Amino acid sequence: MDVVDQLAALRQGKLSRRAFNQSLSALGLTAIAVPVAPRRALAAPDDHATYFTWGGFDVPDYFDEYVAKRGELPNFVTYGSAEEAFQKLQSGFVADIAHPCLSDVPRWSSSGLFQPIDTSRLSNWPDVLPELYDVDYNMSGGKPWMVPFEWGQTSIAYRTDLFEVEGEESWDMLWDPRYTGRLGSLGGGSDVWWCAAIKAGVQFDQIHTEDAFVRIAAALREQRPLIRMYTDDTTSLETALASGEIVASMAWNSSVVALQGQGVPVSFAKPKEGALTWVCGMMLHAQAPKIDSAYDVLDSLLSESSAIFNMKDYGYGGVNRKAFGSFTEEQLQALGLSKDVKSVLDAGHFGIPQSAEWDQKMTESWEQIKLGF
Amino acid sequence: MTTDLVFADKVSRRSLWLRLSGLLFRHPAMRGYLLLFPALLVMVAAIIVPLATMVIMSFWSISGYSIDTTPTLQNYQAMTDQPMYGVLIGRSLIVAALATLITVMLCYPMAYYVAFHVHRHKALWLIIMTLPFWTSYLLRVFSWKVVLGYEGVINTALLWAGLIESPLTVFLYSQTAVTVVLAHSWAAFALLPIYVSLEKVDKTFLEAAADLGDSAARRFWRITFPLSSPGVISAFFLMFIPTVGDYVTPAMLGGPDGMMVGNLIQANFGPMNNWPAGAALALVMIIAISISALVFLSLTRLIRR
Repeated sequence: MDVVDQLAALRQGKLSRRAFNQSLSALGLTAIAVPVAPRRALAAPDDHATYFTWGGFDVPDYFDEYVAKRGELPNFVTYGSAEEAFQKLQSGFVADIAHPCLSDVPRWSSSGLFQPIDTSRLSNWPDVLPELYDVDYNMSGGKPWMVPFEWGQTSIAYRTDLFEVEGEESWDMLWDPRYTGRLGSLGGGSDVWWCAAIKAGVQFDQIHTEDAFVRIAAALREQRPLIRMYTDDTTSLETALASGEIVASMAWNSSVVALQGQGVPVSFAKPKEGALTWVCGMMLHAQAPKIDSAYDVLDSLLSESSAIFNMKDYGYGGVNRKAFGSFTEEQLQALGLSKDVKSVLDAGHFGIPQSAEWDQKMTESWEQIKLGF
Repeated sequence: MTTDLVFADKVSRRSLWLRLSGLLFRHPAMRGYLLLFPALLVMVAAIIVPLATMVIMSFWSISGYSIDTTPTLQNYQAMTDQPMYGVLIGRSLIVAALATLITVMLCYPMAYYVAFHVHRHKALWLIIMTLPFWTSYLLRVFSWKVVLGYEGVINTALLWAGLIESPLTVFLYSQTAVTVVLAHSWAAFALLPIYVSLEKVDKTFLEAAADLGDSAARRFWRITFPLSSPGVISAFFLMFIPTVGDYVTPAMLGGPDGMMVGNLIQANFGPMNNWPAGAALALVMIIAISISALVFLSLTRLIRR
């Protein structure tokens, strides 16, 4: 059965019904057989755990160990803000592993959606720096709810060529009326509200009081007319900073490292009031469907190579102590990091977990302020 | 014994079938319901049940992370107390109405041309006109970002022409941007109904009017336009109703001051985690849209008299 012959016959209108049926069945068989052949080349989503994480962490570089063991990458689902993620999980979405921050742990763990992590199943656990997870609200019977993955700062990224700093670097930079319409901000309340508290001079242990609430909300309302964009999407933020559309913005370490890598003159401010510091990491779902694979994902994320990638390519602090050997203290200082993790975290302001009611009220007020009220 | 049973079974099955067909034969209404049955099932499962759930939920409230199911008017109370809701609803209605008006005015001449002056390959013309709508809505909105952006097409062109010295920031992140993009994105929904109603206008009326001495303008206003008004009205509805609640366009192009009510509803179901308030707001929007549609309809009735 020659394909060319058949095409010619078709063109001349001489194709017999039998020949036509033959071609059709050949086509049908091919169509059925095709998905079988390259099966190995495609990801096998059924065999692997799902990692629910911030956009940007869904890269293969973190999974060298995992791929070496299981041959393929795990599955990824990404989100833009922790509130969005928690909301999705609460409404029934099941991912084996989620990626919150340490200050989210009390309310995430009290939701009943997660289980403490059995660290004896993690070969890299002895190398993880204890100061990043060993707080009482994160431990349940000696097991952590969250294993740390990255730590860093929320501060101000600004264009050194376009933004003129008056005096010391400070949070006032993001409230500077000279740059009305050329300032940017992150969109999630878990960053913005706390940074505004630093700006308003509210101590974090007082953040739950009514007075603090009023002062922070006032600071954010004052700032809003100056802001060109609120975004959860770091790519938009980086594009806007690179083009000069905005000259300064609240940002995380990774945006600065990414822009500096492209040769954009950007600096990560060390505000005199202190930056917001945080530790984020992974929690394990209570009904994780692929628990064995999930533990391998966690182990891979805690590996030395993941920590090196975090520090070198994203500018976030790594959690594996072996990784720090690859860097000199000067290199770490330039990234806003240090071998002495505690000193960096304590130099800034570290978020304190709050009650569900406070969180609800804060998010509601923040969303309203963003909309202009 | 067994053959008897099989036989009895066959008989009873047969008589059941006969009874059923007899029923259908005697009552034409039953035939109608049988035909409607699949559609009715989908309607009930996908529209009526969710809508009822929404109504019930809008009377609930939130405490911490859990939902308190004691009935309360709290959500509606908040809408009258806080100016935010009124402003956002008003803004959404105005932006959608403006976008609809622009679109209908721009699409009418296009539809008119194809209906009256194109005689060959009409389908091809229509396909070409609706070609932009073959790409995804999200992509179209995003490409507007490229057009209006800081380093976008318009700014680059103006810079190149030497008309401005630094890129203008007025294009993107504003209500105007949202209006323009909505007007473009929904054009097909206005174009097609107007075209269909214009296509159906009986050309002999126009010839008769010309014979009796009407000018071209009078012919248009007295014959063509009134006869095409059903198309114009349906274009208004087809576009106005979905654009009021649009969420993607303001989220991507609106900036802080261009947000619409859809964004607040999304925030309620998303980060704010307050489903009852979101449900109440969505219901109020349904009512607000119905009222504005009724106002529009009665206005057109009034004008037609």
